[in-house]
Order: sequence, then C-alpha cells, then structure tokens
Amino acid sequence: MSTEARKGSLRKGTLPFLLTCWKLNLAGAMEFRLSFFMTAGMMFLNNVIWIVFWGIFFSRFPSVNGWELSDVMMMWAVGTGGFGWASMLFGNFNRIAFITSRGELDVYLTQPKPVLLNVLASRMSLTAIGDFLFGWAIYAYAGDHSLGGLLRYLLALLLAGLIFLFFNVAAGSLAFFIGNAEGIAFQLFNGHLAFTTYPTDIFKGAVRLILFTVIPAGFISYMPIGLLRGWQGDYLLLATGAAALLAAGSIGFFYWGLRRYSSGNMMTMRS
Amino acid sequence: MKVLETKGLKKTFMVKRKQPGLGGSFRSLWKPEWGEKEAVKGIDLAVEEGETIAFLGPNGAGKSTTIKMLTGILHPTSGEAKVLGYTPWQERGRLAYLIGTVFGQKSQLWYHLPPSDTFELMSRIYELDRDVYLRRKASLIERFDLGPYLNVPVRKLSLGERMRCEIAASFLHGPRLLFLDEPTIGLDVIIKERIRELIAELNREEGTTVFLTSHDAGDIEKLCRRAVVIHHGGIMVDGPVEGLKRDILRYKTVTVRLAGEGRGSGAAVQGLAGTELLEAEEGVLKLSVDLTSTDIETVLSRLMGSIRIADVTIEDPPMEEVIKTLFSRSRDHDSAAGGSFGGEGGGLP
Repeated sequence: MSTEARKGSLRKGTLPFLLTCWKLNLAGAMEFRLSFFMTAGMMFLNNVIWIVFWGIFFSRFPSVNGWELSDVMMMWAVGTGGFGWASMLFGNFNRIAFITSRGELDVYLTQPKPVLLNVLASRMSLTAIGDFLFGWAIYAYAGDHSLGGLLRYLLALLLAGLIFLFFNVAAGSLAFFIGNAEGIAFQLFNGHLAFTTYPTDIFKGAVRLILFTVIPAGFISYMPIGLLRGWQGDYLLLATGAAALLAAGSIGFFYWGLRRYSSGNMMTMRS
Repeated sequence: MKVLETKGLKKTFMVKRKQPGLGGSFRSLWKPEWGEKEAVKGIDLAVEEGETIAFLGPNGAGKSTTIKMLTGILHPTSGEAKVLGYTPWQERGRLAYLIGTVFGQKSQLWYHLPPSDTFELMSRIYELDRDVYLRRKASLIERFDLGPYLNVPVRKLSLGERMRCEIAASFLHGPRLLFLDEPTIGLDVIIKERIRELIAELNREEGTTVFLTSHDAGDIEKLCRRAVVIHHGGIMVDGPVEGLKRDILRYKTVTVRLAGEGRGSGAAVQGLAGTELLEAEEGVLKLSVDLTSTDIETVLSRLMGSIRIADVTIEDPPMEEVIKTLFSRSRDHDSAAGGSFGGEGGGLP
C-alpha cells in the first residue's frame, strides 16, 4: 500500500493531529499567565453567583414543579461541564459564522485534515476551563458519587457537550447561505445557552416544544431529572438520538454550505 | 509531465448591487438587487512539472480566485481542472498532501506560539514520519536561517521573519507544487531578495513547480521563467518572461563605458533616429534604443566611429516597465470599448 493511501487514518492521522492541536491550544492559552488564571477564574465565580441566586430562590420556594435545589445545581453541573469540554477541545464551535464571513476557512481548506474538525479543534476557550472546573466542583458537592452516578454524569456531560457543539455548528453554517450570519448565530448561541440554565419543567406548551426541537436546550436542562436521578431508558434514547441527529444534520449542513463558500481578501492570522 | 491543466475554468459570484446612501440601503433591504460578476472567464492553462510561472494581472483580474479554485478552496461555476491528477474541489484532501500554499495575507502560523510549534502541528497535519520531519525541519531551519527566532512567539517576529517561517512551513511536507499568492507583500528589498532566492533554490534542487501571483515585478523577474497575464478573468498573454519583455517593449537600454574622459560624447548619437540619451555622466553614456526605428548595430557603429569605447552593456527593459505597459494597454482597450479597469472588477477575492 502506498504512503498516500495510508494517510488520513484515525489512529495514525487524525488522533495525533488532534492531540497536537489540543496541546498547542493549551500552550497558547497559557502564554499569558495572568490572563489565563483571571479569565478561567472569573467564569468560575460568575457561575457561583448563579448558584447563590438559585440557593436564595429555593430557600423561599423549596420545590418548583418537582425540581429541588440539588436538581438545579446538577443542571448547572451538566450545562457548564458539557459546555466546558466542548469549548476547550473544539473552541471554534460558536465562531463558525465569524470565521466563514471573514474568509478565514482558506487556510483550513488547503490542509489535508477534515475541514470542520480542523476548524473546531484549532481554538481553546479560556473561559471554558472555568466552566468545566465549575461543573466538576458542583458534581463533587451535590452529585451522586456512586459508580453508576459517576457514569451517568459523564454520559450527561458527553451528550450536553455534543448538543452545544453541533447546534452551534448548524447556527454558524447559516453564514454560507445568508452571508453575514454572525448576529443570528450569536443570538441562537445565547438563547440556547440561556435556556439550558432554567429547569425544563417551568416551560409548558409551545415553548417546551421549541426547547426539544428548534432550540434543543431542553435535552440538556432535563438531564438532572431524565438521567441523573436514575437510568431512564426512554429519555436516554431520546437524548442520544437527538444528539446523533443534530451531529449528522449539522455536519451535512456545514459541508453543503462549504460548496457555496466564497472566501474573501481580509488579512487574517491564527490565534 | 503536466502537473496542472484547466479547461474553460469559470467562476461567477453573485454580487448585491446597492444605490448609494441610506435610501439605497433601505431599498436594498426590502428589494435587494443581485448581479453576476464573472471573476474568471474560462481559463485554459497547462503547467509542466518544475516550471516557475508568474500569474499576473491587475487587482480584480481573477488571479486569487483562480488559485483558490486550483487549491480546492472554491468550487468553480463551470469548467475542469486537474492538479497532480486530482480535481481540486472534489479531491481536496488527497491533493492537499501534495501541494503547498502561501497566502501573503493569510497566515498559517500560530500567532501566540513560536514557529517551532506550528512546524510540529504541520508535521501532524501532513502525517510526516518523525525522522523525515526532523530531517526536513533541520534542513529548512538551516536554509531559511530560522535558528534565532524559531522559539520566539510569532507575534514578536518582524514581517520578514514571519514570511520566512511561513514559506518554510509550507515546504515542510515537500510539496510537488507550490502556490504563492503575493508572498513578498509588505517586505523590504533585502528580505524580498532572500525569499526569492530561497524559493528559486527549492525549485532548482527539489524540482518543485512554482505558481506565483505578485504585483512585484522583481518576484517575476527573479523567480519565473513563464508569465501568464490575465485580465477581466481571461488570459491575455502566455509566454516566457524574457520573450514578454522583448515583445511587449520594443526598446533596449545601451550602457557605454568610455575609454577616455568622453567630454561631449553625447553628441555622438544626436540626430540618430530612435535613440534617446538617458544619462551622460563621467565616462558613462546611457541610451534608450527604439528597435522599431533603428537597430543596435547602427547605434553601435555610430558610437564606435566617433568615441573610444571600453565596454558596452545591452539590457532588456526592467519587468516593472513591461507590466506597466501591459496594464496600460488593456486600460486603453477598455476605455475604447467603454469598459472599466480595476474599478468594478476590484474588490473580489
């Protein structure tokens, strides 16, 4: 078999590339020591403030539609933890519209790695490190520490991260079709993120339907009830199916849009 | 062997047209008007292995768009292209292992990290064997003299240092075909010269085919043997750089070093048709000879009959003049045809 034909395999091609990318991202993030600690630390503190707010709320209303403070805390643990790993390893997922509209895909397109993977893995979000650590801190404080509990939390993190990742890839890929989609992609990102921080059961009717279809934040915010309280086959199947469908759809949408990519002549640099 | 071949390669962009002012913006918001802009109009081109090609044209001529189609960045509207046996926009991944790209305006170096880290990443992207990578890296560091700033973050390098790293990085995987889009943009004369030497050296020693776009006449003159000039998306001229000079500008510069003091020697060419005295300094005469009115032999006979000559140099005009003439000819042609030059055409990639 020729050398060319062997290239592009997962074990010898993609994995070493991803590991090097993540190593360099981390090295780049640590280049500015003070900024590194401050940015990650501030996000951790920001999340703590929200938990304090919910703590005050539940001290007056101990249960909201069956949700208790521990559920809300775990909702935050899943949301921040899932968002955290996705943004640490694939930090460009909410910048697809920005990158596309500035013609920054050129460099990735001239390299032999899958374009979407290359783009996603080329950045690490510093604030996400704070989110990720916060998720684990809340799990350590309020989570189920049995083996089953840990596995359920890990699965919840995985599904939440994938949903964040691919929902935003799809939103960002709108840039291929409507040009400057930074505004709409940013609004979708913020809307999706915001809805993952409220108990799913406070929403009824049409809004609830939207949260499990158009803006699939419900799959993330419902994790404490649907998955962390115990294995519920139906919900797990539904959430896994939604994540898989979203992943396949957004990858297809991105590559469909890539055929319409029109590049640009702006001066750009990887950072 | 052909490394690149295109047939009728076309690219059309949809461009939104808007009337000037706020009113125009409102009208465009409710009823946008779209027009087609043909950036590349059916280019036929064939490039042999080891060639050094200058791809020239004014802003908006379609140079970058063509390069982007040949590297798989853009899908063409119609036409065919084979680059090293692959259709770029369909087999981009496999082609990318065999080509290198340097876009003067788009860096592939990691801004906050030293070039050595980017080299490491490139070795993973191109899946180079460790020993091949280390050998290749050491050779490029030596050739490009990168040692002093290999471990300095890219943001702290000068533009010239960065471009040297950029080009070295694009050579790391030993590409068979290198696309360079304005590689010397913004660099000083000395660094430009060094970068040209390095690219020429790699072309000579490794047989890398070089496909270059540049507005710098020096890049073309020092690096390329063939020039393809495009304008308004179509090929205007395709031929050897030397031939281009001879055919486009029908004059030569004759420099005569005199054996004696040569006071008043300029009078020797007075009245000679097609000859203009450019400079008459101590012991040196510089003449411009229009070959459509006279020939070199006549001019030299006249000079030798009236002054003592120590040395004579006959030169083609500088490339800068050739490009200026070519572009002004197309501008004249456009004006006569009522078209525009680099106006509406400008601004597209």
